Amino acid sequence: MTHNEPLLKVDNLTVEFTTDKGVVRAINGVSFEVMPGETIAIVGESGCGKSVSSLSVMGLVPSPPGKIVDGSILFNGRELVGLSEKEYRKLRGNDISMIFQEPMTALNPVLKISTQMVDVIRNHNKVSKQEAKVRAIEMLRTVGIPSPESRVNEYPHQLSGGMRQRVMIAMALSCNPSLLLADEPTTALDVTIQAQVMAEMVRLQKQLNMAVVLVTHDLGVVAESCQRVVVMYCGEVIEQGTVEEIFANPKHPYTQGLLKSIPVVRDKKIPRLPTIEGVVPDLFHLPPGCRFADRCDKVGSECHQGSPVLEGDNGHQVACFHHTKQTSYTEAV
Amino acid sequence: MSDVLLEVNGLKKHFSVGKSFLKRNRGLCKAVDDVSFTIRKGKTLGLVGESGCGKSTLGRCVLRLLEPTAGEVRIAGQDVVNLDAKSLKELRKEMQIIFQDPFASLSPRMTIHDILREPLDTHQVGTIEEREAKIAEVMAIVGLRPQALNRYPHEFSGGQRQRVGIARALVLEPKFIVADEPVSALDVSVQAQVLNLIAELQETKGISFLFIAHDLAVVQHICDEVGVMYLGRMVEKAPAEELYRSPKHPYTQALLSAIPVPDPTAKSEAIPLEGDVPSPLMPPSGCTFRTRCKHATTRCSKEVPQAHDLGENGVEHLVTCHLFAD
Repeated sequence: MTHNEPLLKVDNLTVEFTTDKGVVRAINGVSFEVMPGETIAIVGESGCGKSVSSLSVMGLVPSPPGKIVDGSILFNGRELVGLSEKEYRKLRGNDISMIFQEPMTALNPVLKISTQMVDVIRNHNKVSKQEAKVRAIEMLRTVGIPSPESRVNEYPHQLSGGMRQRVMIAMALSCNPSLLLADEPTTALDVTIQAQVMAEMVRLQKQLNMAVVLVTHDLGVVAESCQRVVVMYCGEVIEQGTVEEIFANPKHPYTQGLLKSIPVVRDKKIPRLPTIEGVVPDLFHLPPGCRFADRCDKVGSECHQGSPVLEGDNGHQVACFHHTKQTSYTEAV
Repeated sequence: MSDVLLEVNGLKKHFSVGKSFLKRNRGLCKAVDDVSFTIRKGKTLGLVGESGCGKSTLGRCVLRLLEPTAGEVRIAGQDVVNLDAKSLKELRKEMQIIFQDPFASLSPRMTIHDILREPLDTHQVGTIEEREAKIAEVMAIVGLRPQALNRYPHEFSGGQRQRVGIARALVLEPKFIVADEPVSALDVSVQAQVLNLIAELQETKGISFLFIAHDLAVVQHICDEVGVMYLGRMVEKAPAEELYRSPKHPYTQALLSAIPVPDPTAKSEAIPLEGDVPSPLMPPSGCTFRTRCKHATTRCSKEVPQAHDLGENGVEHLVTCHLFAD
């Protein structure tokens, strides 16, 4: 690991939403770092707060009802929490970009691709419309869209799902951001197109040397493209480490369950697939102690009493009593 | 063969596109083109292919939710295509569907109880008490608590909603269910739960499924037979074990290799498919897959390939590709 400063440093971030039923804490003390040029993955089930984490970085948490109540987000050493909307607008698209899950809803259906891309480029650069359009076409070519000269004049509905996601990527990269947040970029796509888009993202990430935060619920996608993995559950980071460590030696029972549930083609048909029993607890009625305790097969009495904290060295940290107990046991031996 | 439940022969569904008062007729979209298969009692056929390959259209034609253009569909020997409305309604009890999107396929204004009660009322099944008992029974089967009955769909997570969708398909005790991408919209951790539930139903209830998916990894464990579709045609069909062990069609091989390998040390040996599925309005001549196939020859652009049976020892393994001709 290099000793330079992290590009993005999220520290103890806590976001709350005010709803009809009361205040709910969507993420609770989340911390992670992204080095320049590094790809990290934030993994977890729906509702675990992974999207809220990435939206917070972009300053896109709707407020009200959402509010960052604690923590800091440092980007290039600059504090983003509390930044004015005007300053954020300079940052978005230029330094930090985001790709959303639904390429159909993220693109404006009544504007041509060219209009939308020229908009972004001209917002951050002093260039003429013609120059911006040339750049847009160049960008579309970079992300692998065939005949971009004609495609640029089409509307989003004329493109397929994979094409739309490529346009989203092209748009996000058109101002050379140093950080790209990709919120489930391939979830809405077929496996074949997913493979294409992921390969494209890995290639561009290397070519442009940008940092990528990939938000996903599928650990399978992560293995081939990321260096580090942050696993979230119920608004908290429960395990993080290098991708090799997480896949070879997952310590948290939840991470182990997630790894087992990846759909893979097996050599032999098995009667039942391994699952994580139960459902994610309601954020209004969180169990006391460890939030995963009710679904955990290694649960002990201590799990219901206190919340485990992240422990371990830089390469691999885990928040689980069971794990800590085990290590101390081996240390004693 | 008396144990055949569903028989589909030369099924075609063509949509005419842009045929309206002002627009000229832009052409014919052959969504499903000459597809044949059978499903035996208690068995499951998996239907796999990319978006737009016609797999959902096929599923709907089989249930006559769409009127097929041509071809034959028989459920338990009964001709579905030419049935009159009254007999079709009778038959609907035997064939149900589970939809892909658990958010759009449940009415937000109905409680879970109302959603499950509606099919029983429509078909006038038993007495009121029997209907309520049936509802309680299916709730238990899909693993939902009885308290959930008075709640609305928005109060549930995606996986739980999909369980409601499955319960709704089960209340009428059908013999045959079309499952149209039932797990595609779910988190991977929840997918396995729902797949296991379906596997359990196959065993305990002996229901036959037509299971539609876009991911070959998902269907492996619950299908007896797998068919791969491309642009409205079945390009390969074989028993599940055989298909995963030795996929023959270049498209099936590409689909298999596109599944991400959850191992950071593994070298990716994916055979990436170039480009998108061509528009079904202007399908390529000859073999429709040739534009993305690395084995394509001049013959592929001239001749439409026929199905060849490559199976051994009485196993049927159909491949529609010129590579295996003669």
